[in-house]
Amino acid sequence: MARPLELSASVALGQFIPGHSLLHRMDPRAKLTVFTLWVVLSVVAWTIAQQAVLFIIFLFLLALGRLPFRFAFSTLRPALPALIVVVLLQLLFLGDSTGLASPVLLHVGFISIRLATVQLVIVSLLRVLSLMVLISTLTLTTSASDLTRGLEGVLRPLRPLRVPVSEIALVCTIALRFTPVFAQEAEQLMKAQAARGADFGEARPWQIIRRTKSVLPVIVPLFLLALGRAENLALAMEARGYVPGARRTSFKTLAWGMRDTGACIVGLLLFFAVLLIRDAQPASAAIAFLF
Amino acid sequence: MNTRKWVIAGVLSALSILLGVTGLGFVPVPTAVGNATILQIPAIIGALLEGPIVGAIIGTIFGVTSFLHATLPMFKDPLVSILPRIWIGVGAYYVYKGIRPLNHYVAIGVAGCVGSVINTVLVLGVIYLRHYLSLGACITAAVVNGVPEAIVSIIITLAVVSAWLRLDPLRRKSRI
Repeated sequence: MARPLELSASVALGQFIPGHSLLHRMDPRAKLTVFTLWVVLSVVAWTIAQQAVLFIIFLFLLALGRLPFRFAFSTLRPALPALIVVVLLQLLFLGDSTGLASPVLLHVGFISIRLATVQLVIVSLLRVLSLMVLISTLTLTTSASDLTRGLEGVLRPLRPLRVPVSEIALVCTIALRFTPVFAQEAEQLMKAQAARGADFGEARPWQIIRRTKSVLPVIVPLFLLALGRAENLALAMEARGYVPGARRTSFKTLAWGMRDTGACIVGLLLFFAVLLIRDAQPASAAIAFLF
Repeated sequence: MNTRKWVIAGVLSALSILLGVTGLGFVPVPTAVGNATILQIPAIIGALLEGPIVGAIIGTIFGVTSFLHATLPMFKDPLVSILPRIWIGVGAYYVYKGIRPLNHYVAIGVAGCVGSVINTVLVLGVIYLRHYLSLGACITAAVVNGVPEAIVSIIITLAVVSAWLRLDPLRRKSRI
């Protein structure tokens, strides 16, 4: 058997760790606002100094949420080989393609490693690490239902623009709710098909069509089951009076407190502070100009 | 948009998340990364069945999950992992709509292919524009990864959509 038949265990969406830290008690709307702000910042920050400062801020957040550090980096180890390959690819072959005139550090044959390339590699590695910490901090301190409720709240100002905010939140809720359900169904399907003698991955690697055919006995029924469930769910919702776009109330309401306003202000201040950090490298300014 | 469309968008997004986090969505054929992804397929199928907006929503959720779970530098960048994925379903839908009057099966297959190609080209295009990889590396990845992914995508899209719409490509008679 090429693959394990247990899927439910790997659906780690319930990463949420209940707790009483400041981050746990914050309003999900405030958390999402600051989170989005900082993801944007991390994407536009093209200097090593900025990324390093962001990384430190995010580690501080993780500590503030009283979360164990190993959770934040749990996904890093299995990805290390691929990460190393990508870094090598970037270092060796990015060469002159960044279009920046920066000093050549090493020149062997057709390979030339430039200062700007090294800087780019370090920045993108730091970005992976810091975003990993930031995302873990958010998902470990906020439950999935709070996240979708927060999303609805954050998007609410877009409602006058006819953005279907509560429907988008509904889609997210359904997606999160049904992932474990489908994991179980996929598991059952795989076991049933294996019992009937289906081969999962016994074809030769280059036989693309045969290999694809070997996943069909699971993938096709899975899609059909899902679509069938969608039909039933839509019918059930309409029978219970669900009308898209209608105003609904919620069992649990969010409460915005002083600490949430404070967090947003601090988040915004740090955003501009990091944005203003200047690096000594002139190359980074040129890269920043490109974006 | 009626209730059905929203629900189908949610359910197919759930499948997209499931395929991504369990590794079910990676067909083990030889490519640069060792497998061909079929994570774009829920977005394509959603678009074919319920229109471009549903496709775009599923694509966005696929993008967000891929961003949240990413461990490679290029995919930890929303411009690479989220933005291109929105267009998978949109492109697939209009191709499907254009070819459908000629031949329904061909339309489904071509839409499956186009959705996958949009994913490959836009993602690698942004990776190049954001200086994560050189142009040569991007083109190599597009060929080595993109072609098997497009083939896999055609087969699965055709299988699922024709089964759901109760089409019978070979016009077989019932075997009972």
